[in-house]
Amino acid sequence: MTTIETPINTTPSRPSMEATAVDRKRAKRRHSIRRGSIYILACIIALWILLPIWLIGTMAFSTPEDVRNYPKHFAPVPASTETMDFFLNTDGIQRAARNSIVVAIITLILSTLLAIPAGYAIARYLFPGRDAIRLGILSVRAFPIVVLAVPLAITFIKWDMYDKVYSLALMHTALTLPTTILVVASVFAGVPYELEEAARIFGCTPAKAFWKVVLPLATPGIAASAILTFVLSWNEVFAAILLTLTNRTLPAQILYTLDKSGDPFKFAGGFFMLIPSLIFIFFIRRYLFNMYGQLNK
Amino acid sequence: MKKFSWTPYLLLLPSLLYLVIFFAYPMYESFRLAFQKDSAILSLRDEPDENAELGGQIKLQTIVTILDRLQLEETLPNGRTRPIFWFQVEGEDIDGNMVTGWVNQKSVFIENRRTSETARVVAGEPTKEWTTDFAERMFNDYRFKRALITTLILIVLILPLQFTLAIIMGLIIQSRIRGSNIFLYIYAIPLGISDLASGILWYSIFTQRGFLNSFLDTVGLIDKPYIFIQASNREWMIAAIVLAEVWRATSIVMVIVVSGLQAISRDYMEAGEVFGATLWQRIHYIILPLLKPSLQVALILRTILAFQVFAVVVAITGGDVLTVLANETYRWYDPARYNNANVAAVYALFIMVLSLGISLFYLRAVRSQEEASKSV
Repeated sequence: MTTIETPINTTPSRPSMEATAVDRKRAKRRHSIRRGSIYILACIIALWILLPIWLIGTMAFSTPEDVRNYPKHFAPVPASTETMDFFLNTDGIQRAARNSIVVAIITLILSTLLAIPAGYAIARYLFPGRDAIRLGILSVRAFPIVVLAVPLAITFIKWDMYDKVYSLALMHTALTLPTTILVVASVFAGVPYELEEAARIFGCTPAKAFWKVVLPLATPGIAASAILTFVLSWNEVFAAILLTLTNRTLPAQILYTLDKSGDPFKFAGGFFMLIPSLIFIFFIRRYLFNMYGQLNK
Repeated sequence: MKKFSWTPYLLLLPSLLYLVIFFAYPMYESFRLAFQKDSAILSLRDEPDENAELGGQIKLQTIVTILDRLQLEETLPNGRTRPIFWFQVEGEDIDGNMVTGWVNQKSVFIENRRTSETARVVAGEPTKEWTTDFAERMFNDYRFKRALITTLILIVLILPLQFTLAIIMGLIIQSRIRGSNIFLYIYAIPLGISDLASGILWYSIFTQRGFLNSFLDTVGLIDKPYIFIQASNREWMIAAIVLAEVWRATSIVMVIVVSGLQAISRDYMEAGEVFGATLWQRIHYIILPLLKPSLQVALILRTILAFQVFAVVVAITGGDVLTVLANETYRWYDPARYNNANVAAVYALFIMVLSLGISLFYLRAVRSQEEASKSV
């Protein structure tokens, strides 16, 4: 941890020195004390965020004996992949992880394909009802998942779609679509309209201008939004546990077996579920405000 | 003026249709489940066909004798067909008279479809009658009040902590100290972390042989592990949940706060500094008022999410001694436990009404405040 306090000057100042110099020095010192305390505070908060992740990582990479031991070590010494192996080879986990990935990928594809035209319309066109539609999409975002999951489960049972990976993906798409539309719209809004206009002037049809000029420029942003969609689906547990029975996704499977499983399983599972979110933040960091800053517009 | 174009509507159409199907329809279905009498009575048909005329009506759990059986094909909504058994049954109806009629395999429990002589009625059809039975069952359930109170306590504790911390984080990021970008990314890490993972993480800290006890033991404050999570220790369980939620969900408020702070003109801040306002004065008189729209959005979003708190609670407490509304919804729905989707639907609607009510209340409170300040 670094604090940048200037050493206190102990040499007595000559009485002839003007007061302003002393004042300036004092102001400078006050300034660096303030900087220093901001740094200390910033580091404490960073520690508060990072420490639990470190601890669960420690558990995931200790031996199962160390995981059960008390008092616990605060670092994975000796390091071992035994606990993770045990978790990954527990009955049903690999299948659940596969289900989770399939659901998240279907959700990502569906959600992005639906959101690209919708986001483009919101970003580029002024049309009657635009604000109402925007607001509608935003308010759907704020809708409790809980309300959807129960009736959808019943409907899926009726339609013989219950306990299927794809029906959970349909539900997750409904949950992520509003966010994806708004994020994609903000990505398109960031592509300069002049480029599209220039393409049109040089003879591109609107569709071709979109395909050849706008879409390539928007691709990194759309990719970031797709990663966000993936993580939202990967993390979702309430709908997953209601809509599946034998085809559990990873969080649903872990939650379902939570009270029957020991600490090594729980901690390794917790860490395993963290992995995508840690990668996620690295990829989306440039688009952070595109994604969440959207909310207050 | 550009001429009217259908293009944007066409582009939006697929998404809007999707959302209508997956939001409007379940909403309707939810109301139906919650307030319509469903499977209390099974209607027998005169012919082995779902659209045939009604014969008699039999109560659930009645044992009926099988007189005849038929294997037919049923067409599913997705166009595929599957075999389905129909049974001609005889049994006592709701008035105690013997009636006969046809039912299909979905409504009865039967040991062997081809050989069994009797069956038990286990499901019925909507009788389209409105009822408040399910709602009453929810309100009278002894867990309901506890779940509601715990949910409210959690909201009251979590939100203020979260907003204070988020504003501090935002101010740190905005102070443009060297490395503030790194701090921003560290603070944003929990954005992608699920409530279940966060729950497990904090469980590893608070469990009996967990990190907190290990730490206290290592520094010599305790000699034997203290049991934080147990039925008689509600305060500690709530504290653990609050910490887990504040840890996980403050990031999103922080991002909203930072983007709100970025929109505040530097002139205001500099003016404050020039006129010698202290940090506290600047926060109170410049930053918070200008940040209000952002905070309001974050507050509504977080409140709605807080009413659905679920996996964190289950991961830390097991969801039995301490329960919340979403957990009760699951308990009632769960086929392995109460297996009653109707009461679960009432719970779901109750959560929705609470969240919408609170959101409207926030919006109203803010508006009336603005009106009051305008009229002064």
